[in-house]
Formats: sequence, C-alpha cells, structure tokens
Amino acid sequence: MLSKKIKIIVSIFILQLSFNSCYAVEPEEILNNTKQELRARNISKNIRCMICQNQSIDDSSAPIAKDLRILIRNKIKDGNNDEEIYQFLTDRYGDFILLNPSFKLNTFALWLLPLIFFIIGLIVIFVHNKKSKKLL
Amino acid sequence: MKRQLLKVPLLIFFIILLIFFYLLIIERNPSKIPSALLEKKFPNFEAQTLLKNKKFISSEQFGKEIILVNFFATWCAPCRDEHVFIKRFSDEKKIKIIGINYKDNSEKTKKWLKELGNPYNIIALDKNGQIAIDWGVYGIPETFVVNSKGIIKYRYVGPITKKIYKKINLIIKENN
Repeated sequence: MLSKKIKIIVSIFILQLSFNSCYAVEPEEILNNTKQELRARNISKNIRCMICQNQSIDDSSAPIAKDLRILIRNKIKDGNNDEEIYQFLTDRYGDFILLNPSFKLNTFALWLLPLIFFIIGLIVIFVHNKKSKKLL
Repeated sequence: MKRQLLKVPLLIFFIILLIFFYLLIIERNPSKIPSALLEKKFPNFEAQTLLKNKKFISSEQFGKEIILVNFFATWCAPCRDEHVFIKRFSDEKKIKIIGINYKDNSEKTKKWLKELGNPYNIIALDKNGQIAIDWGVYGIPETFVVNSKGIIKYRYVGPITKKIYKKINLIIKENN
C-alpha cells in the first residue's frame, strides 16, 4: 500500500519536472517559415513578461505575453529587423522589458560593478598574500 | 597604506548594506514599473467607439485640455473597485475622461455602465489589445494623465485608491 503511494508521488514529481521545459507558444502562433519562427523565438526569449517579470514571454502564458508574441511574429512577417522590433518594444515599455539590457549610461553600473568588485577582490588577495609572505 | 586598502571591501560592503536598507524602508513597489511614455506625446490610434456612432481618432481628442485615460474591462474586478473614483473625477472635478475598453464584450460593458454610471466622455474599443500595447499597458486597470499639450504626465498601474485619487488631483492641478 505504502509503495503504491510512493510510486504515485514519484510519478507526479517526474511529471512536474517534465513540465518545466514546456513553452507557452501555442500552435496557432507558430509561423510556417521556420527561419522567421526561429527569429521570433529568439526575440521572445529576451523579452520580459511584464506581469510575471521573471519569465520571458516565450515561457509565460499570460495574455499580454501572448499578445506580444503575436506582435513580434507580425512584425517579422512585415519585414522588420530584430533591432526595429526591440526598439518598438522599449519605446513603449522601457529597457525593463529586455531580459538582457543593453550597455547604456544608466545600465553601466549593472554591467561593470561585478568586474570592479572582482578587481578589488584580486587586489585585496594580492596585498594580503604579500603581507603574509613578509611575516614568514 | 596597505592596511588602509584592506578596509576598502568592508567599506563597500557597508555602503551596499546601507543602500539595501534604504530601499527597504522607503515606500516603493518594485513590481510597478515607471512608464517609458512619461513626458512623451500620447500614442496615436484610431478605434471604434462604444456608445457613439463615430470612429475614435486620438488626434481629435487630445491636445486641447487635460484628459484622464483609463483602461478598463468588465471582467476586471479591480476596475469595478476604482469606478467610484473615476466617477468622482468626472462629477466633482469635471475632468474629461477617455475610457479604453480592453478586450471586452460590448454588451456587457453597456450593462456595466448602466449599473455603475458612465463617467467617460468617450469610450474606445480595444478588441485585440493593440491600443494597450501602444500605451505600454501591461495590467489593467491603468490610468494616465495627459496634459493640454498632449504630453503624458502620469501613469498609475492598478485600481485608483483614495490616496492615488488625491495624487492624481494634485497632478491635474499642477498641469491645469
């Protein structure tokens, strides 16, 4: 009896794991042209769902994410390039909509601080080591 | 000199700690994102209207007086909550209000307005959510204040509360 219960729990757990890799893109959204569809998927993966915020619109099943996925595909079909599509979205939703924000004056701290901290750390380790060696 | 250098990481750590502490105590909601359209001209659009037999053309509506733009839907419960404040803007403050009916059933909207009262001067229908995207809307209800030059001065995401009602009134006064 107990083993049956465990089997059910394990099955649910495995099923849950397999759902993690699901995407929200619905069949009717997919473009016939595979090259264009791939472009749409790549752009969607870099666009934040403004409701879920930690998900891309490619992963999110929120209605606004679906609207934006369809909009991106329509823009690709209309002949817009990736840059134009990103520009269209950031003009309306700001840089926050990008999961990978570009290097700008207001994002430089975001990009450079980890590097600065790393360099400071290296200097501290170097100075500390030198001092320890002298003591020996 | 070298000893002083060793204090740098500690100092940076405390500065970061202070910044985090400051962000914790100030009143803010990190999930609310400022509009990219603030201080910019209203996005142009055309749409069908709900109660009038004419097309909504944004360039004909904006740019003459201060206007409140409210995205709403009958299926959105917070929209019902804020409706009383939208009515107050219309009844007490005599502000022109443009309603954008987002992905809704027109018949249900007519019924809803009959029941709760209609504070909107004109209602544009956003059947597929395109107008909302052009305005950078991501969760209704959302309310915008557009000044008499057609510049967006304020945006609020969520239902208008007493506090926000007062804040919007202040912005209207500043821009009148």
